[in-house]
Amino acid sequence: MEENKDLADFAIQHAIELGCEYVEARLEHTNANGFVIKNGIPQISSFNKISGLGIRFLINKELGFLSTNDLKKEVIKRLLEKAIKSTKVGSRIGEETKLADEEAHKDVYEVKQKIKLGNVDPEEKMKILLDAEKEIMGLKINVPGRFISLSDQVTTEYLVNSDGTQLLATVPKVSFFYFLTIQENTKTSQRYWQYGNSGGFEFVKKWNVAKILTDEVMAQHKNLKQGIKAPKGKMDLVAAPQVVGIMVHESAGHPYEADRIFGREAAQAGESFISPDMVNTIIGSDVVNVVDDPAIENSYGFYKYDNEGTKARRKWLIKEGKINEFLHNRETAVYMDLKSNGSSRAVDYDKESIVRMSNTFMLPGDYSEEELIEGVKHGIYMKNFMEWNIDDKRLNQKYVGAEAYLIKNGKITDHVISPKLEISTPDLYNAVDAVAKNTEFHSGNCGKGEPMQAIPVWFGGPSIRLRNVRIK
Amino acid sequence: MEAEEIANYTKNQLLKKGADDVIVTVGTDNSTQVKFANNKINVTKTWDTIELGIFLAKDKKIVSTSIKDFSYRTANDTILALMKFVKSAKPNKEYEGIAEGPFKYKEIEDSFDKKIIDMNDKSIDLVEQGINKALEIGAKRTAGNLEFSNSKIYLITSNNVEATDKSTSIYYSIRALVNKHASGHMVSVSRVLDKLSINDTAREAAEIATQSINPKYCDEGQYDVLFHPYAFANLLFNLGGNFSVFFVESGLSCLQNSVGKKIMSENVSLYDDGTLKNGFASSKFDAEGVPTQKNVLVDKGVVKTYLHNTSSAKRYNTNTTANAGLIVPEPHTLILQNGSYSKDELVQETKRGIYITNLWYTRFQNVQTGEFSTIPRDGIFYIENGKLKNPIKGIRISENLLNIMKNISAVGENSLQIKGWEVESPVVTPYVLVKNINITKPL
Repeated sequence: MEENKDLADFAIQHAIELGCEYVEARLEHTNANGFVIKNGIPQISSFNKISGLGIRFLINKELGFLSTNDLKKEVIKRLLEKAIKSTKVGSRIGEETKLADEEAHKDVYEVKQKIKLGNVDPEEKMKILLDAEKEIMGLKINVPGRFISLSDQVTTEYLVNSDGTQLLATVPKVSFFYFLTIQENTKTSQRYWQYGNSGGFEFVKKWNVAKILTDEVMAQHKNLKQGIKAPKGKMDLVAAPQVVGIMVHESAGHPYEADRIFGREAAQAGESFISPDMVNTIIGSDVVNVVDDPAIENSYGFYKYDNEGTKARRKWLIKEGKINEFLHNRETAVYMDLKSNGSSRAVDYDKESIVRMSNTFMLPGDYSEEELIEGVKHGIYMKNFMEWNIDDKRLNQKYVGAEAYLIKNGKITDHVISPKLEISTPDLYNAVDAVAKNTEFHSGNCGKGEPMQAIPVWFGGPSIRLRNVRIK
Repeated sequence: MEAEEIANYTKNQLLKKGADDVIVTVGTDNSTQVKFANNKINVTKTWDTIELGIFLAKDKKIVSTSIKDFSYRTANDTILALMKFVKSAKPNKEYEGIAEGPFKYKEIEDSFDKKIIDMNDKSIDLVEQGINKALEIGAKRTAGNLEFSNSKIYLITSNNVEATDKSTSIYYSIRALVNKHASGHMVSVSRVLDKLSINDTAREAAEIATQSINPKYCDEGQYDVLFHPYAFANLLFNLGGNFSVFFVESGLSCLQNSVGKKIMSENVSLYDDGTLKNGFASSKFDAEGVPTQKNVLVDKGVVKTYLHNTSSAKRYNTNTTANAGLIVPEPHTLILQNGSYSKDELVQETKRGIYITNLWYTRFQNVQTGEFSTIPRDGIFYIENGKLKNPIKGIRISENLLNIMKNISAVGENSLQIKGWEVESPVVTPYVLVKNINITKPL
């Protein structure tokens, strides 16, 4: 990293000499490892070392981006000249891009690793998966499909811009993913999920991969074996943290991304049902509060400064049921005469940073989950889900339960198979009458951008109760 | 070229240090993307990438790495790291080796065009041309991108394979909107510039948008659905991975135990073709260096084969289908055999139906059984008594993928090659009419 920092500084200087109004350069170095087993058989172990430089600039008020992993001064000079020329030509029919003013920051930060990823032997990492596999097989449950992977990476990023920002960040990340098929007689059920943190190998140990997998297999097997048909019609629904997490990510996170609201992602991830004049509009009941917060220590979506060098802060998307704030970068903030709230992220050095979520979750209320359930005469408890989707304006969504139960007279009774909630966004948030305090965070890689940028995020919240929604 | 010398050096050193199988690739790629929205260019992106990929097997232990830093010093460090890494790896008992060369390769027709390399700023004119065409038809806003690439791959293996392929490609995507609720989306992909159709693509996106003004809600229930190729490509892309033997074995395929069985409509003949002329993903060889070929996946509803690499094929006592993926075999280009119906005839065939032009967010409850749902996006139209009627909105297809493949009642005569934001590898498909599809919506 050290020997290439001067290349990022050179890029800034040279782009300014070539007439750019603004330049930022992001030099990244990543060491990544991956391990995969399929049905107990190790498939492949991999390690990758990635170094590269991404440069974003404004010329004639038009935005340009270039990247290279050929880290030589003459290559950067040649590419800059080529990219600036193309961008200048494009400015003929270009949008006049302005960037909101931003304080220059100088900082060095690092997410500490209690157990350094580089000090853990690959054999030990693979052993985590193989031990979990043994535990699954010990359950004597038929699990004919078992795909499990473990990944880690350490990324060091040097971000400089022509406003004087100079940041050096080192963020290690670990994640683990599984996709299981559980069989009972001729029926199968499937489930995948992911765990992720910023930090060292201590998190892999803390997760207890074997326990996560055996708990999942036992729960899904019971659901498959004992589950009754889901009741249909209007009833109450208690959604547990995994379900609440995906709900707020999809219909309270994505539609609040200002680049969608202003049409910049129309041909990719889509637009939003929200328009800029809807701030302060009621979108849900007054117990609904949703935030996006990159500053949570060791979270999968953690950063201290975003990829434009703006200091990260909590963004309050829904406040007491009202649309409160959108996710902005420096480009979209200008449209609303605001400052960026630090939501600009790129997944790799070779991607343009765009408006993204970080850790999006519903804030806790005062109830226990048991109290939510006690208040339901007839309804469903949806512990987790498998199938889900939402339209590109983020209005029409569907969640299908994986592990789910019937609630009768305030008590959880039978397992139910695949209860389906298909609901509009205002109907969903208006139906929430109580929020518990059992907050959990879950991990995913959110897709947006072209080329696709699957970016690490957390989503979560506590259990919530929805009154009188239609279950299919 | 120095990178190729480093690749050969790396291969030889790894073999000297005891590796059984080695594959080294050098991939170079120069790409440009012009992204536009609200009828203006937002950003112009330029990428320059060179990457060394190494696959190594020793005593059935498999490791891989990629490096983006070309020097003998880095190569030596990587060789040492790989040999250390492989020591602590665990054997893959299923691994049966890589293909034995040498092979002869055929050139892919229409896979390289110097005009794309020399495009430079012509891309801006093309983007402007498309925006203007869509506005002329009646769209108010457009968004999309034009991306063009120039790539080269050099591949060598420990089993007498040395191969090179160079390619160009161009991808155009445009979404035209009259307002938030009236939009159309279309793409055009090609390996040569002259076969890219900016005007026709922009026109079709804008026509769908202008026809979909003031959409109405419709009832839930069963409808016959006519899929535009852009929409059906999404379903075929999702089906394609199910043919990979890796996913069959992982429980992640709805085609387990299906070879030789008629599980789809008589109207379905499906191919995978790595040699397709002007195919967006066509290449002379797969990831092992085996010459690509055209495979029959489904013949008149009967599943004929899974997709294999050399190792999986040996386990199944068959031949590789030239679809490596060194661990996960994967399709090159899926092709649904076209039929004899015009689009108008397919509409006329439909008594109570829905015409869908785009799909997105396809997600499965159970990949093995095929239960899933997906959301129609952009123009959706009601069909009544053989005629296209009003636009509709707010619906979802909640179905089973195999049911859809069983219920295909007619296939169109003209095919389009589709690649899109969700259709990550290309699919060639005509219009498709499917009976009795379950349509749901929030109530």
